[in-house]
Amino acid sequence: MFLSLRNVVKRFGAQTALDDVTLDISEGEFVCFLGPSGCGKTTLLRVIAGLERPDGGALLLDGKDLAGVSARSRNFGIVFQSYSLFPSMTIARNVAYGLECRGWERGAMAQRVRQMLDLVHLADQAHKYPHQLSGGQQQRIALARALAPKPVALLLDEPLSALDAKVREDLRGEIKDLQSALSITTIMVTHDQHEAMEVADRIVVMNAGKVAQVGTAADLYDRPVDPFVAGFLGRMNRVNPAFVGLPAGGQDSFLGIRPEHVEVDDAVGASEGARIAEVEKCVFLGSCTRVTLRIAGERLVVELRGKRTDISPGGKVAVRIPAEAIHRLRESSG
Amino acid sequence: MSIAAAASARPESRWDSDRVALAVAICLVALLLLLFVVAPLVAILKLSFVTPDGVGLANYAQYFRSAKFTRIVGNSFAVALTTTVLTVLLAYAFAYAMQRTLMRGKAVFGLIVLLPLFAPSLVQALGILFLLGRNGVLNRTFDLGIDPYGFWGIVISDVFYSLPHAYLILSAALAAADARLYESARMLGATSGRMFRTITLPATKYGILSATFVVFTIVITDFGNPMVIGGDYGVLATEIYNQVSGQGNLTMGAVIGVLLLVPAALAVVMEKWIMRGSHATITAQSQPLELTPRLARDGVAFAFCCVLCAALLLVVAVVFVASFVTLWPYNLHLSFRHYRFEVQQGLAPLWTSLWVSLLAAAFGVIATVAAACLARRLGGYSARLLYFLSILPAAVPGMVLGLGYILVFNDPANPLEFLYGTLVILALCTVYHYHAQGYLIAATSLNQVSRVFDEASTSLGGTFLRTLRTVTLPIIAPAIASIAVFFFVRSMVTLSALIFIVTPKTQVAAVSVLLLDDSGNQNQAAAYSVCIMLVVGAALLLFHGVLAVLRRRRPPSQV
Repeated sequence: MFLSLRNVVKRFGAQTALDDVTLDISEGEFVCFLGPSGCGKTTLLRVIAGLERPDGGALLLDGKDLAGVSARSRNFGIVFQSYSLFPSMTIARNVAYGLECRGWERGAMAQRVRQMLDLVHLADQAHKYPHQLSGGQQQRIALARALAPKPVALLLDEPLSALDAKVREDLRGEIKDLQSALSITTIMVTHDQHEAMEVADRIVVMNAGKVAQVGTAADLYDRPVDPFVAGFLGRMNRVNPAFVGLPAGGQDSFLGIRPEHVEVDDAVGASEGARIAEVEKCVFLGSCTRVTLRIAGERLVVELRGKRTDISPGGKVAVRIPAEAIHRLRESSG
Repeated sequence: MSIAAAASARPESRWDSDRVALAVAICLVALLLLLFVVAPLVAILKLSFVTPDGVGLANYAQYFRSAKFTRIVGNSFAVALTTTVLTVLLAYAFAYAMQRTLMRGKAVFGLIVLLPLFAPSLVQALGILFLLGRNGVLNRTFDLGIDPYGFWGIVISDVFYSLPHAYLILSAALAAADARLYESARMLGATSGRMFRTITLPATKYGILSATFVVFTIVITDFGNPMVIGGDYGVLATEIYNQVSGQGNLTMGAVIGVLLLVPAALAVVMEKWIMRGSHATITAQSQPLELTPRLARDGVAFAFCCVLCAALLLVVAVVFVASFVTLWPYNLHLSFRHYRFEVQQGLAPLWTSLWVSLLAAAFGVIATVAAACLARRLGGYSARLLYFLSILPAAVPGMVLGLGYILVFNDPANPLEFLYGTLVILALCTVYHYHAQGYLIAATSLNQVSRVFDEASTSLGGTFLRTLRTVTLPIIAPAIASIAVFFFVRSMVTLSALIFIVTPKTQVAAVSVLLLDDSGNQNQAAAYSVCIMLVVGAALLLFHGVLAVLRRRRPPSQV
């Protein structure tokens, strides 16, 4: 395994930020740490970077223990949330910084800087200062600076969260393309599920300092282990087993249904097995319409493609829940 | 690429060059602080507690047996407390006028109020004597029959002397205001008086307490003004001087030094302790206060500031004028005769001061910036210890530190004795006397530099020293320049810390002023003060010129 985390623990005073985290990352893989703020994802990245010292556990890179290796010597490239470019240096000197630290020869350094700036399409900005660039441009330079010294792995700490929505989408595509082209092992911390689902080969969902679930976007979406993961990636209706005519599965288990998996039809002439529901609320969201239904005292949120003029509050619809849409979930530990 | 690169993650021993550099720097900074702050303090304490019969309070008992000495302690407190109350009230009103009204002339008022910072502490007393002394122009013209020598003379001089310090603290406190609070209060029907009582005062209470303790420390430790205008009204600071320089009684000097050290140190400790509870009341969501013109308020504020600034200006201006006339106040013809400096070594002390100030500026920057950078890098308990040592000098009156330097460095057994009687020891004494202030400027500006820069540099392979040199220090360059100018100005005007360790060969300008005044040459003392103020003024102009160039060359930093 390329990068191995073994039972990593990190405490800040009485608070446990990382609680026994074990994780393996393969070479060339793009992994996202996903979770709400305070779940420990950034702390985990900082422990990997060497910026925080773990209180327990081990970190192995190609089988070698990283415990005695300082952040300076780990050779990981890191991009922070924002404004980490050195304000008193030009863009070119910022990108050259890591090379200067490694004592690169002048010619090779200039060539590498140009190559990196070309990579992020900002070669014409080389002699400007960071404050003269937009937020998106600054983050691309930060990326170029991190990649210049040929790091073993790239660590991205919410690199897009300080940017505008449109810039954010463009840049996340660019990051993914860069990562594929260089096939560099990359870890990105994010709280944005769409970001994680778009770029990551595997997603590590974290909750309260623990790893909740690891898997591809499809794994996590289709087979969430608990309501936390289910709720963090997309929405999930939570229903009693009796609601869909199944036996109860014990105290800690219940059923979940994704809103887009519910089929809705005209109440008139409903097919066999369909159930009649009352429409409580109906909101048009552009690409879909979100409808809140009431069936037998239970509330069910449903998402339907496009605009649905045929449905309005107070009306009745026929609802069908396919068997494969029903997930059995364990109660979250967090 | 990754496999080859992975091999380049270098394992290292505990002692790579980076850590060695860091450890050496820490040891050096700590050693200097121990040598030039802690050792003199220990020497004073030791001398005051050691008697021929062993360790004890015998020296103190002897001190308090004398009614005169007991009265001196009372005098010191009376002066310090009266001055503190007056100064904080005046400074609060002044700062309020500057920050919370739309009166005209703020830029001019703001400059005038800072004037006393750039003159030796005895200039205020000198100016008051020229105005209200036995031969003072006001006293003679209006036949007021005022005798300024004594309590009120010291109080008035020290109010002027300490006003800018209090003003700077209170102005900062009043500058921060959240408009949303005032808007909510107005919507709820509060009058301006109620808003002042319920919003402004509580929001500035830390500023008021801080200013109170700072002024108290300045006044109780001030030496120049009571020396010039105190007359028979002895205070602790002048009494140390009498005991040590007049009677050669180092032990009694040390006892009085400790008596002065205790209230000064308590005030500093109180200030730090109280300020611990203060945290930013202004958040990113706060709305800046929008002032609206109000004729009555702005008019009263303007009148008040005019009166106060006129008084401040008058005291300094009269010193200027007196230095350029034949014989103040009898013969007011223009004359440069007081600038011939035929007594007291002529201009040599001014040159000495200039060299000492340049040395102090250079060394002060290195010492305080290094201490602040190391504390930032270290974190935890060692950083707190470094912080404590760095701000400890704030609690040590200049007279006490100076006396400590005699005890430590005028001792033939000390291998550093060769420093005694050199310019270097004068510069070091000033640097460590004002170490706390320089350190706080450095630490505050470092705090504004995001740690992300350090982390980015580290993860790119930068060592501690490279990060400092190429990333951190360039960002705080303006603060470094202001620390240099701070130490330069302080050592041009300081008197108390140096009075004991100057030798005839290394006499400094401020001491010359004192000696000239002491020997009855008030006009020459005025001329010498003017020379000091001109040098300080030139240095400040130069500083602002350099800063302007720096600003033009460098991009505005994002911190």
